[in-house]
Amino acid sequence: MTSLFVAAGDPLYASGLNWITLVIVLIKIIFSFAVCMGAVTLMIWFERKVISDMQSRIGPNRAGPFGLLQTLADGIKLFFKEDLIPEQSDRFVFKLAPYLSVVPALVIFAVVPFGGVVTIAGRSIDLQVADPPIGILLVLAMSAIGVYGIMLAGWASGSKYPLLSGVRASAQMISYEAALGMTVVTVVMMTGSLSTRAIVNSQAGAIWHWNLIRLGFIPAIIFIIAVIAETNRPPFDVVEAESELVGGFNTEYSSIRFALFYLAEFMNTITMSAVIVTLFFGGPDGYNPFGHYGSIFMPIVWFVVKTIAFCYFFVWLRGALPRMRYDKLMDLGWKRLIPVSLGWLLIVAGFMVNGWWGVGLALAVIAAGFGLARAFKIGADLEDRDQAVLPPVGRRPVPPRLLRRLTDGDPQGGVQ
Amino acid sequence: MTSLLATTVAIPDVIVFAAGAVMIMIGALGVITSRNPVHAALSLILTLFGIAVLFIEQQADFLAAVQVIVYAGAIVVLFLFVIMFLGVDRNEDLDAEPLAGQRSMAFVIVLMAVGAIIALGAEAHWVVGPHSVSGVPGGPYQNVYNLGRSVFTTYLFAFEATAALLVIAVVGAVVLARRSGAANAEQPDGQPENEEVAS
Amino acid sequence: MSRSALVGHEGAMEVVEIKTVDQYLPVLGLIILGVLFAAGSFVASGLLAPRKKATAAKVAPYECGIVADVEPPQRFPVRFYLVAMIFIIFDIEVVFLYPFAVVFRQLGAFGLVEILVFSVVVFASLVFLVSNGALTWGPVKRLTKGMPSRSSDSTIARITADSASDQAA
Repeated sequence: MTSLFVAAGDPLYASGLNWITLVIVLIKIIFSFAVCMGAVTLMIWFERKVISDMQSRIGPNRAGPFGLLQTLADGIKLFFKEDLIPEQSDRFVFKLAPYLSVVPALVIFAVVPFGGVVTIAGRSIDLQVADPPIGILLVLAMSAIGVYGIMLAGWASGSKYPLLSGVRASAQMISYEAALGMTVVTVVMMTGSLSTRAIVNSQAGAIWHWNLIRLGFIPAIIFIIAVIAETNRPPFDVVEAESELVGGFNTEYSSIRFALFYLAEFMNTITMSAVIVTLFFGGPDGYNPFGHYGSIFMPIVWFVVKTIAFCYFFVWLRGALPRMRYDKLMDLGWKRLIPVSLGWLLIVAGFMVNGWWGVGLALAVIAAGFGLARAFKIGADLEDRDQAVLPPVGRRPVPPRLLRRLTDGDPQGGVQ
Repeated sequence: MTSLLATTVAIPDVIVFAAGAVMIMIGALGVITSRNPVHAALSLILTLFGIAVLFIEQQADFLAAVQVIVYAGAIVVLFLFVIMFLGVDRNEDLDAEPLAGQRSMAFVIVLMAVGAIIALGAEAHWVVGPHSVSGVPGGPYQNVYNLGRSVFTTYLFAFEATAALLVIAVVGAVVLARRSGAANAEQPDGQPENEEVAS
Repeated sequence: MSRSALVGHEGAMEVVEIKTVDQYLPVLGLIILGVLFAAGSFVASGLLAPRKKATAAKVAPYECGIVADVEPPQRFPVRFYLVAMIFIIFDIEVVFLYPFAVVFRQLGAFGLVEILVFSVVVFASLVFLVSNGALTWGPVKRLTKGMPSRSSDSTIARITADSASDQAA
């Protein structure tokens, strides 16, 4: 019976909608909105500060203590800047795109459980803005909508760099969404529910209940890689590769419109860190040495600590890794992550039935891996033999001089 | 503790339905009246969202999520790819009719469709009342769970047949792309070589 | 004690049907708040920003300071469309996996066999795609047949040769 009730949804609405429920909902919404905005402000400062440390610079240090108010100052400055709409742009879509970037980033946070369940005046309140039965699918749906913001911004600008960026971004984001979905399936299989609260509850208790360990690390790694690609963060930030595309999709945006894209990007980083924590790292689960009162605030502390750890991880990646080439990026998504996540899903499913199925499927997956490697080889050979079938991206006419040098043979030629 | 939803005609339900219906209608009108294909595609997204809202109103929230993930997140993205990046994003000439008499035909078909809907509704005595399709009330994850059970037991054959259908779609997509690529084969390779001969 | 409180405790014996629509209320609220925030920012920016008439140079497409004489590209390689098409198919396949994942524990070995058949089909389509080079994005490896492949050695040799010929000229 208990298991039935756990799955029945947010108990807040059990008595229907009335004004107390509405007030609680309103408080939750405004609270989470404020937290999101504050967190983004801090995140931008944090990223700049950490990156400067990694590059032996000082970073922002003028506005406020340790430069903490730098983001605020930048934001206020942007309000006073000229708001330009390029003449070549599609004005309606150009204005619409920032909304489509900000709103999904904000909504994803709604389904993240950031604490346990507290009881106030006989009402149990989940520390989570919303707990719909399809919770985790809402995250995927919103990240699917997030594609539009970048794609439309790139197209509507009527300029070359944003257009190229928009094409790249949308192809990249949809490529990694499939891998993202498959790893989520693995988690859901373990939990038997799509609700984020149920996913977190099933991981509670001990560190070896976390999906990271229960599912054998691989899904978590794939999910993190896919999230980095979804949020267009380094090393997968070919979308705004400044050496090739100036500013990427937001090149033509100025003033507060640009600020909203910037905001959405960092908000995505934070919310997706929170989603990683929810799916694989037990969410608010953690050690509580303070007894009853600790059970209220310690989950929040653990959740915040874990999320900050991932935010730091993303910043660290930006500081440490060079940008990945576009073709390698697409190859990683389609040829590595999708097959590996599918194979791992089967292995986990096998072990959930029993050990023999698991071992058998593991062997089958390895055999299939060899088959796929063979297919890679065939595909690569095909490319060599018959390049014209699908012209590769970025083909340019070769300068005659270089071609002559290359076709004349002998790479050593010219060297005396 | 009075519940607003306890009554048979729940006002929030009506509001949600009205919102969804308005979204669908505005989107649909946008699709057919926009002169710019990109705006039409964006209106289509609004319509699909409205349908998702109606699904939620019917307690079919898995279908709502799928509606957004697949239709808005994948299919319209492909539409937009084709519209935006294939250089067809200019205003359509509405006077040119590719199919002779398509306007009058559309009118007739719409009349027939509306007539059929009215006939069906009258025959079924306009079914109204409580939700009857959400499966066992109070069960865990009612609709996802029930959907899973039906798809993976009762309709298993249809499910596996769908998989085969998807493979056919993959093959079709590749074959089409290959053909368009093969049409202008050799040209990119040939060009620089000619240049070299000329220089 | 109210019904909702009963539900909130471990071992509650009563299962209360919760209307789905209600649970999306906070989501709707956040959407509205997000839109209001963005709209409010635009209004504030409209009030605070300088109201100058933008010059032609400012509203021209950004070209690093050069006057653009080439239109933005109108067509992109077919591969991008192919990826979008293949993505639809994989997306649909993943969507079938969610209800499966929810009921998997109840289905047991039967469910495993089902999904195995399904996965083999998905895998077959992936193998087909890969072996057809449909997912190959790489740059051209060789320009024409029989040409020497490039290595770091050959590039160094070529550059040396280039500079040697430049000095000679």
